[in-house]
Amino acid sequence: MRPYHGGAVSTDSSHIRNFCIVAHIDHGKSTLADRLLEVTHTVADRDMRAQYLDKMDLERERGITIKAQSVRLLHEGFELNLIDTPGHVDFTYEVSRSLAACEGAVLLVDAAQGLEAQTLANYHLARDAGLMIVPALNKIDLPAAEPEQRTKELASLLDCDPSEILHISAKSGDGVDALLAAVIERVPPPVGDRAKPLQALIFDSMFDAYRGVITYVRVQEGVLPSKARIRMFATRVESDAEETGVNAPEPTPVPELGPGEVGYLVTGLKDVHQAKVGDTITLAGKQGAHEPLPGYREPKPMVWSGLFPADGSDYADLRDALDRLKLSDAALHFEPETSKALGFGFRCGFLGLLHMDIVKERLEREFDLELIATAPNVEFHVLRGGETTIVHNPAEMPPGGDHDEVEEPVVFATIITPADYLGAVLGLCQERRGELVDMSYLTPERVEVHYVLPMAEIVFDFFDQLKSGTRGYASLDYEPWGYQKADLVRVDVLLHGEPVDAFSTIVHREKAYPYGKRMVERLKELIPRQLFDVAVQAAIGSKVIARETVKAKRKDVLAKCYGGDITRKRKLLETQKKGKARMRRVGRVDVPQEAFIQALRVDDASTAKGKK
Amino acid sequence: MSAGIYVHVPFCLARCGYCDFNAYAGLDELKPRYLRALLREASLAASAWDGAEIASVFLGGGTPTTMTSDDLGCLLRALRSAFDVAPAAEVTTEANPDTLDEVSLAGLLDAGYTRLSMGAQSFDPAVLRSLERLHSPESVRRAVAAARATGYANVNLDLIYGAHGESLESWERTLEETIALAPEHVSAYALTIEPATPLGRTVARGDVPAPDPDVQADMFQTACSMLRDAGYGHYEVSNWARPGYECAHNLGYWRRQPYLGLGAGAHSYRDDRRWWNIRPPEEYLATVERGALPVGGDERLDPSDAYLEEVFLRLRILEGVPASWFHDDRADRFLESGLLTDDDGALVPTERGMLLLNELVLALTADEAFR
Repeated sequence: MRPYHGGAVSTDSSHIRNFCIVAHIDHGKSTLADRLLEVTHTVADRDMRAQYLDKMDLERERGITIKAQSVRLLHEGFELNLIDTPGHVDFTYEVSRSLAACEGAVLLVDAAQGLEAQTLANYHLARDAGLMIVPALNKIDLPAAEPEQRTKELASLLDCDPSEILHISAKSGDGVDALLAAVIERVPPPVGDRAKPLQALIFDSMFDAYRGVITYVRVQEGVLPSKARIRMFATRVESDAEETGVNAPEPTPVPELGPGEVGYLVTGLKDVHQAKVGDTITLAGKQGAHEPLPGYREPKPMVWSGLFPADGSDYADLRDALDRLKLSDAALHFEPETSKALGFGFRCGFLGLLHMDIVKERLEREFDLELIATAPNVEFHVLRGGETTIVHNPAEMPPGGDHDEVEEPVVFATIITPADYLGAVLGLCQERRGELVDMSYLTPERVEVHYVLPMAEIVFDFFDQLKSGTRGYASLDYEPWGYQKADLVRVDVLLHGEPVDAFSTIVHREKAYPYGKRMVERLKELIPRQLFDVAVQAAIGSKVIARETVKAKRKDVLAKCYGGDITRKRKLLETQKKGKARMRRVGRVDVPQEAFIQALRVDDASTAKGKK
Repeated sequence: MSAGIYVHVPFCLARCGYCDFNAYAGLDELKPRYLRALLREASLAASAWDGAEIASVFLGGGTPTTMTSDDLGCLLRALRSAFDVAPAAEVTTEANPDTLDEVSLAGLLDAGYTRLSMGAQSFDPAVLRSLERLHSPESVRRAVAAARATGYANVNLDLIYGAHGESLESWERTLEETIALAPEHVSAYALTIEPATPLGRTVARGDVPAPDPDVQADMFQTACSMLRDAGYGHYEVSNWARPGYECAHNLGYWRRQPYLGLGAGAHSYRDDRRWWNIRPPEEYLATVERGALPVGGDERLDPSDAYLEEVFLRLRILEGVPASWFHDDRADRFLESGLLTDDDGALVPTERGMLLLNELVLALTADEAFR
């Protein structure tokens, strides 16, 4: 690590500006961050690379920020802390904690695209967090840019004078100096009292194989010394912190972090669950604060899925891998699960489908595991005889409607669409059991629509449907909105009369038939013919709603077997024997791994894109 | 020790799209060298087979009858002098109907080829075209008549079913025509798509559909009942014969008796060792001409290999496998479902069982050691 040359420690925070950039995806946030690093000479030209702040391979590959980062820029005597925010709806809470570490936000809008759902959602989050908004139109050098129209739109949203909106090109660097000047001028310096007991907000937490848990913090009150006995409010864990520092942009130790400052802390902890995003750090003992900072929330999984090793003997490896991942991923939940069809595995909870994808991909890529994932589902509340059971595994749902009431989570969704596609958007939301909240024209061409939608209807393929129904023009953002009663049923899939727990799912009664029909049709193609007819059925309780038959195999014999064929034939049989040994047995039916993987595949288009 | 000799003749008039045998069209100029090489290989191999009584000789290919009757006669004489061929040995040659006339047939019979195995394949011209066979149904009738006129009393017709364009009705007509010719032996094979053939590639491209296994199963069952009604005994999955005309040579393979293969790519088996000759004719020739045995590879069967072979071969020829060879009662469900019958302690596949022989063998032998 390099020594710190940032000047003497100031007792005054008037030279500090803490800010973030909020934008819809692809509106140029990462490019602007790169340009700021360059313009302020924070990164030497020779070290510069695109998307400098996105550290994980997966982040660069998917073009999204999964973890927040902060970087210190020194510019004309000011210390500017740029706090990056995760760019995906799965991580709304993490975004809110990053915003809480700032006094200002650059609201970046593509001059061609204009306002999008995430622009609005982030703007509202930033405004609610009390941040000073510095609006900027990006990509003004694009031929398709419509600066005048977009300025008007943005000024009307912010209720500000059009002259306050900066015009920049993050790509060419035009206007970036002016933007920095505006940040310094308009964003207020942090306020905090050195004399008060320490309160430092954790806005990101990560696990480093060599240094243990490193948190990114914003000191609100008091001073965080380099080495100190610290305490976490939420987890009540104490630890000896080892180092404070700032990213400039490489980690650089500093003697302390004073009020208003942003930096990292090597906590001396070994498990990220002890230092959670949103928690408050104070000093251990009597000098510690009595109250945490407001706004902490336990990370709560939204989407659940069973993960099973394709090869049952990899169970212990999967458990170790999940344990390792959990060290660096505080939002990941898992508990052992036993499936009759898939054997031993884990029921895992994720923040969203993207998070699930990332975890699955890391398990397969970094730990070399082959996995079968059951269809993801949300968490349900099942009311029965005055008691509420939380169900995040379809197997736990009483079959055949043996319950008084079921509640499902809903979200408040913001959709912005060109007016031309309004019909398609409303149609899709209706079809997904949405309830229209309100609708307003941002301009004569663009409409903002709010819906309350069941989370189960939105987390899987909604976004892709929305995109294809609007030629890619609509944008979406959503936040959790509590629970709502719904007519939900468990659909089971049976092979030869034997239920396959891995295929059970919870759906709205009206969707049970299409789901069951799709599953049995899919399985009919995937299950190899057996020596007897195999009924493939979908059922609600004991009522069969869809059925297909895999007809019995009639012929499997080599026609010719003479002197020159016997060796080849024997080897063929041995290969077939190995293939059989790898199959899973459901009752009397042999089911290949591949059938589970294919049948459970969420339609390819619906995941993985990540970008919203 | 009783053994069989197989001689491979790799020459053909034309290559058929479905065939993956070691057979070539257009290598005719190699024939004289090839005959000399067979004679040389026989003499090189002979000493190792001292004391073995040769109960059968089988010429296969390719099309052995693309060579002259004189050459084939010379070959058989050489075998008789190098090996102890039993006087009553079954001596078969495969034949393409278009290569046969009364003169050549008389020559073959005279030389000692007493059994004739002819590739008829189908009596439906459309099916023959689909299989890329050059002969016509009429030439099969003519060849059989010529064989009878010459004095042949043991004739086999090979049939193939399930080609693209063949209906169940067409297959029934082929069986009727076959029965009308009254061969002593009938082999009927379900068309199998081999990936490394022109037909395999056509199917892989999707230009021609793969045979429907259910239709082939129907065709198999039709063959079983029509041939049974005509007095043929079903003695192997794809083979039927009038009583006493079962092919002794092939039964030798299935009963795991020793056999010596001569010629390019031919396989041999003895004492739980199987070896095979170099496959490309040119390389085979060069090796033999150097005076070396043209062995291209071999394998030793360990007891579990031998057990697996024993089980699937015995089940193929309906001789049955003792129930005591298998764990517990794992044959029970097949007895119940009618895929196996219990013939006095021996498990024998039924017609339905024969069609599912791979499944039966896999289920019966799963995780079994030889006992």
